[in-house]
Amino acid sequence: MSNYFYVNPEQLTKDRAEFAQKGIARGRSIVAAIYETGVVMVAENPSASLNKISEIYDRLAFAGVGKYNEFDRLKEAGIRWADGTGYTYSREDVDARALANYFAQYLGQVFSEGQKPLEVEILVAQLGNNIRPTKLYRVGYEGTITDEPMFAVLGGDAETIKGRFAASESELKPLSQTLKDCIAAISGPERTIPVSDIEACILEDRGTRRTFIRLNDNQVSELLG
Amino acid sequence: MGLPLFSAQDDPGPDFFRFAKSAGLSAPQSSESIDLPHATTVIAVRYQGGVVMVGDRQATGHYIASRDIRKIEAADRFTAIAISGSAARGIEFIKLAQLSFEHYEKMTDTSLSLEGKANYLSPIIQNNNLTTPLTVMPLLAGWDASHKVGRIFEFDGAGGCYERADFATIGSGTPFAESALRLGFRSDLDLEAALELGALALYEAGDNDPSTGGPDFVRGLFPMMVIINEGGFQEVPTEAVAARFKTINDRRTNSGGIAGGTLR
Repeated sequence: MSNYFYVNPEQLTKDRAEFAQKGIARGRSIVAAIYETGVVMVAENPSASLNKISEIYDRLAFAGVGKYNEFDRLKEAGIRWADGTGYTYSREDVDARALANYFAQYLGQVFSEGQKPLEVEILVAQLGNNIRPTKLYRVGYEGTITDEPMFAVLGGDAETIKGRFAASESELKPLSQTLKDCIAAISGPERTIPVSDIEACILEDRGTRRTFIRLNDNQVSELLG
Repeated sequence: MGLPLFSAQDDPGPDFFRFAKSAGLSAPQSSESIDLPHATTVIAVRYQGGVVMVGDRQATGHYIASRDIRKIEAADRFTAIAISGSAARGIEFIKLAQLSFEHYEKMTDTSLSLEGKANYLSPIIQNNNLTTPLTVMPLLAGWDASHKVGRIFEFDGAGGCYERADFATIGSGTPFAESALRLGFRSDLDLEAALELGALALYEAGDNDPSTGGPDFVRGLFPMMVIINEGGFQEVPTEAVAARFKTINDRRTNSGGIAGGTLR
């Protein structure tokens, strides 16, 4: 016969949150920002093949920080959900808010019922059009969903980076300036990140159905001027 | 639909068709025989820099169901898919193929090879054609970016996939189109010659096969002409297609309605 010990739920939640935060803090941050004609997402990522930012659908992108295997699984679920929904209904019925809510529910469920919380923080970005707005939904490890108005920061040092970025951003700017601000916010005043370690992706209309573009090193260098 | 999460051993991977089946999204199979619009001629001809495709626009049941359906679509930037057989299944098939290739690309961050795409479609065609009377007979053509060459793949009713080095045709107008192609094909065709040969072959099919729509000068509806080469999938503008068929038609009128002993 097994013994059951009483655990104070408040303590349990605190412990789990601490555990998740510690895991997330080990990774590097991601900044996403809305610019004049689209959405840009920037990550510090020395790997050129293990991506943190991905295309989900025609106007949707995903970014994740924390444990790679955990957010990558969520990314795959997001792509499946989007492709499945678009196949069942119509491509225009695939909506970021619905997907972000599913992510939030799942993360919330794992946080309170799972063996351990997921050590991830994710972002669902949507490029707006005449039927939907441009949106950045940030979903935390415990399932908190926030609708970030201009920019979103994911990861360990979020508050500091948020402060740096907020100082530079008050209105929508062109891509080159927004990208510079994002990189400056991630690196901080003492450090410069080599272009090869920057993973930058954008959602922008270019007359085609798909709007996601992964910027290569040359494109990033060119934009940074 | 909720968030589709799978455990590592049940994960369908980047295969959309498998995912759709496991999630119950794909259409149920029926073995009932129904009369549905069908019949087609679509032609693919290889030329030096890629592939040219020509397809008619008519869907036929007991009467003409549609005069302007599109039987050739871009499956992705470098691949075209054409359909013959059941229109309902065919259009569904194109949708599924487009989605599957894109799904694979998003899931793995790499594109499927052209041969990979052709092989991927085989069991889907097999599954469809052996379980329902609503057969689809697709044709896949594309620019193989890794080998820098245009390639054509045709399928048989059981899903068998065969690569063709010269040309391929699908649909009820095949005997007529194929005859024209056999007489006119050379291995060193350039783009213009391939477009002309494809148009001639389709004209022949439209002329002889009641279920293939030729150029419709009354409504200004013309067969689709598509080029797939290093630059990707491009549709020939309607005005250029119209002009080409007008020339062929005028020539035929002048020669008293027959080809006149030459391929022209």
